[in-house]
Amino acid sequence: MIPITAAEAMAMMSECFMEPVERLTPELCRESIPGWDSMGALMLIAEIDERFQIELSADESRTMKHVSDVLAFLAKHGALAG
Amino acid sequence: MSFSHLRGFKVAGISTCVPPHTVDNLEAGKDFGAVEVRKVVSMAGVRFRQVAGPDITSVDLCTAAAQRLLDQLGWAPESVTGLIMVTQSPDYFLPSSSCIVHARLGLGVHCATFDVGLGCSGYPYGLYLGAAMLSGGGHQRILVLHGETPSRFVDPSDHATTLLFGDSGSATALEHTGDAQDEAWFGLFTDGSGAEGLIIRGGAFRDPTPADPRDLRLHMDGASIFNFTIKRVPAMIQDTLAYAGLTVPDIDAFIFHQSNRFIMKHLVKKCELPEDRVPFILEDMGNCGGPSVPLTMTRTLAQRGDQPMRLMLLGYGVGLSWGAAIMTLDHSTPLLHHTYQE
Repeated sequence: MIPITAAEAMAMMSECFMEPVERLTPELCRESIPGWDSMGALMLIAEIDERFQIELSADESRTMKHVSDVLAFLAKHGALAG
Repeated sequence: MSFSHLRGFKVAGISTCVPPHTVDNLEAGKDFGAVEVRKVVSMAGVRFRQVAGPDITSVDLCTAAAQRLLDQLGWAPESVTGLIMVTQSPDYFLPSSSCIVHARLGLGVHCATFDVGLGCSGYPYGLYLGAAMLSGGGHQRILVLHGETPSRFVDPSDHATTLLFGDSGSATALEHTGDAQDEAWFGLFTDGSGAEGLIIRGGAFRDPTPADPRDLRLHMDGASIFNFTIKRVPAMIQDTLAYAGLTVPDIDAFIFHQSNRFIMKHLVKKCELPEDRVPFILEDMGNCGGPSVPLTMTRTLAQRGDQPMRLMLLGYGVGLSWGAAIMTLDHSTPLLHHTYQE
């Protein structure tokens, strides 16, 4: 697995949630991101599986309320550099 | 190990039947909002669906498919000694749907007839059971029917399922050959701990009259099902191929249960399968449950050239249950498809 930078993680989320990357900040909450719906969540699960071969479970996905939660998940699994 | 290697039978023909009513998701989903519908259509890959009205059931679709197949093959009804119907949308709790079809087809009393209550994984399971009966001796001809009308048990307010499902019935004729060269491999698997991920909670004996009417409709935890699929299906493909002593290039076509384009594309990429060997019919048919496997065959392989094809058939979903079959389809095996006439 090759860890990605925080900026690359933001770009990944931007693609999954179809949200401009400049809008994404760690503090931004899920409700403020229209594309972070059930389909956006699936996109994120798929992307994390494809890039890192890490399983983001449905339960863990549902507990994510902010962009920072995704970053923390990646960090916990060694997928976030630095 | 739940792998099996069975010999001495062949697929004599496959027939599928869909209801006459076509639904265009771009029209039908207007209540969900144009953006939402376009998202579902582009992600799930479903534009049109063939949907059964209240008067068409899986039994009707399977009977029509089977009758056409018997006519095409010239099989006398009394020559069929086994009838298996795989369905989770039966006409009644009892009797079995297979018994209703048995009567409609005019089959004889010397016919082992029973239902199998599986959904998206049902086709490999049904083939396995039919093949095992033929390999066991005594039977010459068996019909495996697989039909579902999932559009009739979705929650109309749930865009994730309402816009996804279509309906279809199928009949597959299996025949004893006794030739050891006619062989097939099967891998069958289950994880019942995931049952809640895809479930209709009410309406049966556990909760016949649920307080929440939505419990009479399909509940799908999309993320759980997605995780199950991407974890289990690649391993199933790899392990079943290894059991058969085959590799990806040995397979002419991988016939997936047509679950959802996004999921299927992810699986194709993850398993490093050649895209041109994975046919899709979602755009015109939607997710028809397990019968989407034979439906994909009749819709995409009817004009397949003059060589036998080695196929890997893949079912996965409700249960959670998943299964694979590797078998050869002769170039002259009839693959029939028609629209139900009311």
